[in-house]
Amino acid sequence: MAAIEAISLTKKFGDLVAVNNLSFSVEEGSIFGLLGPNGAGKTTTLRMIYGVLKPTSGTARVLGVDVVHNPTKAKSLMGVLPEETGLYPRLTAEENLIYFGKLRRMEDWRLRKRVAELLELLNLTDKKYVIADKLSRGQRQKVAFARAILDEPPVLLLDEPTLGVDVMSAREIRKMIEDYAATGKTVVLSTHNMWDVERLCDYIGIISEGKLRYLGKKEDLEKLVGEKEFEDVFVRLVKGDVVES
Amino acid sequence: MRVRLFRGSSGVVKLSRGLGQWGYSLPARTWIVVAWKELLEALRDRRTMLNVVLLPMIMMPLVISLPTLMLSPKAIPPKIMVVVSDEGAMDLAQQIKSLESSSQAQVYIVTGEGDFSNLILNGEVDLVVEIPKGFLRNITDGRSGTIVYYYDPYGARSSVAIGIVQGIVDGYSHTILKERLRAINLSEEYIRPITTVAKQVTAGGGEVSTGEVLTAIVIPMMVGLIAITGAGTFAIDMIAGERERKTIEALLTNPVTRGQVLCGKFLALTALALISGISTVLSSIVGVGIAVSSVEESIAYVQATKLIDPSKIGYFIVGILLTIALGGLTGNAIMVTAASFAKSFKEAQQYIGFLTLILVVPMVAIPYAPQSLYPYLRLMPISSLAMFARDMIVNPGELAAVFTSLAVSLIYLMVFLWLSSKMFVRESVVFG
Ligand SMILES: Nc1ncnc2c1ncn2[C@@H]1O[C@H](COP(=O)(O)OP(=O)(O)O)[C@@H](O)[C@H]1O
Ligand SMILES: [Mg+2]
Repeated sequence: MAAIEAISLTKKFGDLVAVNNLSFSVEEGSIFGLLGPNGAGKTTTLRMIYGVLKPTSGTARVLGVDVVHNPTKAKSLMGVLPEETGLYPRLTAEENLIYFGKLRRMEDWRLRKRVAELLELLNLTDKKYVIADKLSRGQRQKVAFARAILDEPPVLLLDEPTLGVDVMSAREIRKMIEDYAATGKTVVLSTHNMWDVERLCDYIGIISEGKLRYLGKKEDLEKLVGEKEFEDVFVRLVKGDVVES
Repeated sequence: MRVRLFRGSSGVVKLSRGLGQWGYSLPARTWIVVAWKELLEALRDRRTMLNVVLLPMIMMPLVISLPTLMLSPKAIPPKIMVVVSDEGAMDLAQQIKSLESSSQAQVYIVTGEGDFSNLILNGEVDLVVEIPKGFLRNITDGRSGTIVYYYDPYGARSSVAIGIVQGIVDGYSHTILKERLRAINLSEEYIRPITTVAKQVTAGGGEVSTGEVLTAIVIPMMVGLIAITGAGTFAIDMIAGERERKTIEALLTNPVTRGQVLCGKFLALTALALISGISTVLSSIVGVGIAVSSVEESIAYVQATKLIDPSKIGYFIVGILLTIALGGLTGNAIMVTAASFAKSFKEAQQYIGFLTLILVVPMVAIPYAPQSLYPYLRLMPISSLAMFARDMIVNPGELAAVFTSLAVSLIYLMVFLWLSSKMFVRESVVFG
């Protein structure tokens, strides 16, 4: 079974078609990168999958669970790092984690253990009692990442996980993504940064103006690129050109 | 390890840190977990806590008791100057002077004539009492002696002083009247053919003290106001703030329904409304107590110091608690509905400021409304709540009235809750 299936996902905001009839599926245990320029529709696509936006038409399934018809069940299968970290500025790093852990119905002992473990892994133990408002952008992103994998969900969705984050924190987050996928979990991330895709992803979807321009394995795209500049190919794919080797 | 979240280490911070750790052992019920987080955030927002809880506790007793306290002759005796131009009227002047011994006024006696209006303009005295030449002569000749008061029309203390002096003058006049009547052998009743008697009519049948009257007027109004407006700031923070700080999206990625989230927020808001409401009621009672005691010391018509009939105290407490809880919920449901329309904190505040004004009007109007309107006031939103508080304090025995106002309040609460839940879940509200 596919970890994620997007089935003709479409979202209109008034006249604007932000996401246009998008279909793809992500194999269990792989890392899928949704690549595209700003305003391409990446965030809107992810939001429909993680159940906070209702598709205008189409739907998505997470491990076979329909996100439109059974959002609560589907949400329990996904960990999410949204575009905005959405940490509560007046709560400490630890309290932010407790809140989500409790909302995801984690038991007391398991939550305690997991919070300590994740703060340690992300070098945040000394920030445990610091309110989120007083954390740096990179630290906040790391806490939000920890929050997404708190109850070890089988599917992880990350909206531009390294955007605006300092180099060191970005490295730590990338490492955590790889480690998480290595335990057999599925990761979907969006980015407009090709180097993230090159380094992390097994599969790639290139999206622009709400339409899917390319879908396939990273190696296939690398073959396609061949001698050419990756960036050049990307630009042409985004424009909707057909690229041949 | 001790890390300070804020400068200083106040009790609130210690408390809220303790509450934070408590989160681990909460039962995994969404609404309880949400309420825990909302209370934690509210406690960390020291400015709001100060405004909503601490400020009313200090301000209420002041606002309620200050006017009566300032006017109370005992607290600040008015300054009275008696200008005796008629040597023969010295014993009346001495009687006025005796106000000093009961410490109701400061009295200065001067003899002779002159213009003393400057003393009033300068604020050196509150009242000049002039006993002009020929005063005694007129009286002994069987005519009327004239006394002139010079006073400040803007000064409430001037009026108080006139009231006190008038009491002495009336007594003096009465003595002369009695002598004159005796001389011509007439009874006092003959020249005062009508006497009036005022009798209280209350539902309970008993007499009520001034304190009880004040309580019945002030408390429902305060309770209603505070319940509706008290947690409004928190309501904005929980709804518009959650959106403005962009925390709502992450929150909604959890396997929880928006209804559960809203329930948790309402639970926290009700707790906050109760905290602010109870602190305000207690401080209002203190204020009424100070006001009554300062009135009592000078004016004799107050017999009892009690603010609440002891036999009704149970109804009073239940009534107040129910009003605060219901009012808090209703007010917050209305605020949440309004705040859901707003894209920013500021916009929400504007909506809520306007709404608060509208909601406050019926509260303030109730003490002045004619009794014939009561049945209708029991049916109107918000005012039904104030009527419920009033019914519970004044005549808890009237079950039909109590239940009507309670039932109506509950129905409105349901309607507003339903409305607010409809508003809160709109997609355009979250990602607009
Ligand atoms: N809530 C919204 N209302 C109206 N337009 C929106 C909304 N969210 C996104 N859009 C528009 O949809 C398009 C896709 O946006 P988005 O999914 O955020 O792109 P990306 O994440 O790839 O940068 C953009 O043109 C954006 O302006
Ligand atoms: Mg985006």
